[in-house]
Amino acid sequence: MNKLRLYFAISSVIFLFVLAISPLKDFFSEWKGYQHEYNGMIKEMPQRIKPAEIGIKQIWVRKLDKVDRCNTCHLGLEEKALAGAKEPFRTHPHIYHNLEEFGCTTCHEGQGPATSYKESIGKVEYWDKPIFPREYMEASCGKCHKEQLVRQAPILSLGRKLIEEYNCVGCHKLEGYQRQWVPSLNGIGSKVNRPWLVNWLKNPKAYFSTTKMPNFQFSDEEVNILADFLMTLTSFPNNATLEPLPSQLVQVSGSRKTAMEELGSTRLREARCISCHPINGKGGYVATDLGKVASKVKQEWLYNYIKNPKHLQPNVEMPRFRFNENELAGVVAYMKSEYVDFDMAEPSAHTPDPQFYEKGLALVKKYNCSGCHELGNMKSYGELGPELSYVGSKKMYEIDFGQSGIDQSLSLYLFTKLKSPHIFSSKMKMPNYELGDEEAQAIVVALLGNTNEPIPEELIIRQKPVSTYAPQGEFGKLVNDLACFGCHTMFGHGRVVGTDLTLEASMAKREWIEHYFKVPYSLRPILTERMPNLFLSDDEIKTLVDYMEKVFIGDSLAIDITMNETTIAKGKLLYNERYACYACHQINGKGGFVGPPLDKVASRLQPGWIFHWLKNPQAYKPQSIEPNNNLTDQEAEALTAYLMTLH
Amino acid sequence: MKKLLHQLYRSQVWRSIFRHGLPESNRTRAEAVFYNFFLHVHPTKVRKRSVIFSYTWGLGGLSFGLFIVLVATGALLMLYYRPSAPQAYWDMKDLQFVVSSGQFLRNMHRWAAHAMVAVVFLHMLRVFYTGAYRPPKEFNWVIGVILLVTTILLSYTGYLLPWDQLSFWGISVGTNMIRAMPLGLGEKVSFLLLGGNIVGENALVRFYVLHCFIIPVAAIMLMVIHFWRVRKDGGV
Repeated sequence: MNKLRLYFAISSVIFLFVLAISPLKDFFSEWKGYQHEYNGMIKEMPQRIKPAEIGIKQIWVRKLDKVDRCNTCHLGLEEKALAGAKEPFRTHPHIYHNLEEFGCTTCHEGQGPATSYKESIGKVEYWDKPIFPREYMEASCGKCHKEQLVRQAPILSLGRKLIEEYNCVGCHKLEGYQRQWVPSLNGIGSKVNRPWLVNWLKNPKAYFSTTKMPNFQFSDEEVNILADFLMTLTSFPNNATLEPLPSQLVQVSGSRKTAMEELGSTRLREARCISCHPINGKGGYVATDLGKVASKVKQEWLYNYIKNPKHLQPNVEMPRFRFNENELAGVVAYMKSEYVDFDMAEPSAHTPDPQFYEKGLALVKKYNCSGCHELGNMKSYGELGPELSYVGSKKMYEIDFGQSGIDQSLSLYLFTKLKSPHIFSSKMKMPNYELGDEEAQAIVVALLGNTNEPIPEELIIRQKPVSTYAPQGEFGKLVNDLACFGCHTMFGHGRVVGTDLTLEASMAKREWIEHYFKVPYSLRPILTERMPNLFLSDDEIKTLVDYMEKVFIGDSLAIDITMNETTIAKGKLLYNERYACYACHQINGKGGFVGPPLDKVASRLQPGWIFHWLKNPQAYKPQSIEPNNNLTDQEAEALTAYLMTLH
Repeated sequence: MKKLLHQLYRSQVWRSIFRHGLPESNRTRAEAVFYNFFLHVHPTKVRKRSVIFSYTWGLGGLSFGLFIVLVATGALLMLYYRPSAPQAYWDMKDLQFVVSSGQFLRNMHRWAAHAMVAVVFLHMLRVFYTGAYRPPKEFNWVIGVILLVTTILLSYTGYLLPWDQLSFWGISVGTNMIRAMPLGLGEKVSFLLLGGNIVGENALVRFYVLHCFIIPVAAIMLMVIHFWRVRKDGGV
């Protein structure tokens, strides 16, 4: 009996100790340790910093219905003096969001309400969104900032640009992206040579290193079937037909041929084809590489295409150069002789599969070629791949990591998928875009920002609606024929390779514009993308400039400048002394090379434009590096007066 | 000192609670037992072999003890838990993150619940193998079986309350099994339990009320009868 009592006593004491564990754990909790450490640290600093009250702290983000307790340990987030302190006490880098208003996990992810390190960074079971690694942080910007270009988030913006350029929406459902123009496959059988097509299908980047066409990793058999199938597509869109080659191109030989090629070479240079087309990798980035084009396309097609690009390839953004028959023949002859691929691998002889048409059609459907390319009446169904609208909220249990053996996180999954699309399952159809690490990372950042988190509408910044500006009439026809939108923007429509023309007539003088169409020199000689010479007729130039003067104008920009000797002298002084404009601009060969030379600026620009530009350059060209010197009206007027003397 | 004590014994408050004198005579000793609820429910006499520990293993008492632990921890958990869809899961997480000893309370409740199901089941086995269901104890056997079911129901209704994936699918599967009831009752019973056709906020509130009020009250009433019968039928 006594023994039993002893056992009872001992076990009671043990139970008492066991019961004490939980309160002790509370008392010696991790976060209390950090708070005491913080208070100890700031006591020894020369600055006076408010010590932390011991206790759990939290930010309640009302708009997003979130509670973040990160500031329980991150105590110095808003103490400027702690910029160099060790973590978790360091100051938060400057951002444009108030911490109290947005909390922490809104951007960083992780488990906000947790109060221990391990739980809060969220790399625990049952928490799908661990804290973002630094390189993926910008994904969170994308949750609210839905515009294409987010200035403070370069990686996100690059990702969105790449998604658009690679035309991901061809196969995946994804909001906010424009479909890209991709050459139509109708008529490809009359356009290209089969050996080129075979090589192209095997590896597009071998021919054109920056092509957007991905590598589908076809087998040799598939390549042959597809090539045979595509070579049967000989009729062009809108029932267009090829004109036969002109006689001077077919029969010519000897010295006359050389003379013709020389003419072609000159015209090719004058037309500045390399502004858009790279030649063996050197030159513009807008269009395809011409370095080996003579081995790619048939001469007849080339002749017809340069003569009228939109005839064979509607919607292509290539201007119709106003070459005459002779010049045209010369250009084609020159390209034929010069732009040849001498090392092109001859595909091995093969006998076509008797069922190549059916099999080819099946392959086209399987790999969704019509997602990007126009192809007969085939529908472009953009939902072959999984929808990506909310891919950032994908749960881990929804993802099949296959045999890849990578760490199980969403960001790494997407990155690996982009880099090697077939790694998770050999049945995947996604082609290989051969992306660099940085590109793949940027795309992952853009994708991770597509979540289905409930975000109040007032916090979301949407992409501005696409401009519907489409000029009509004579001017409209010319703009279409010359593919102006391929480089220039007008009223928010078009690409920005060249300049924005919206206020062109308020900026430049009529005579200068007219002259510029004839001799399109470059204002900044270092630029690769120069205005091509389109060889327009005087009538066409008149039509263009007339329209510009009526439409591309901002009434408020017109201004009268008082030109007298005192203002001119004052302006000259400001130019040379106060603002030292010569540091970037040249006059009479003296000055810097950053800005355009100002020698003949008075015959180029309107005084009103100069005045307003000087006052606030970024208002007219947000990416301009011209400094805004906060000039007074008098100063701007004096500078304008001085510049207007430079004829 | 002694005087003071005697004064206390004579006060009305004391006498209203302890209605007999000090157990100094046979009469007052007997009264001490009759007038005290906890002593009175014990049988006046028991068989000698029933007192041997390895005969009962104390399983009934253990079950009751665990029930007390569950009521105590459960009442404390109720202070921090709101049975609503947006808050339930986060309240459960906050027990872990911010409530002092919250995780300890939750673990106590959880493990005691598991243990109670096991112990009650073992209790039933013990009663079966010792033949303690035979007359005159057949009525109490039936009450006991109902109590086992009540215990399992308590455990099951508590399963939904953390409001995570595990509980959601657990209850979805369970209520889908109810749908298989014959005579077209399945749909109706399942609808009644869930307050809808799927596990949603209504189901959460219903399971909360069942778990914290209806089933515990029913269990306590059945326990009272069970204990009373045990004593009347000559158990410990």
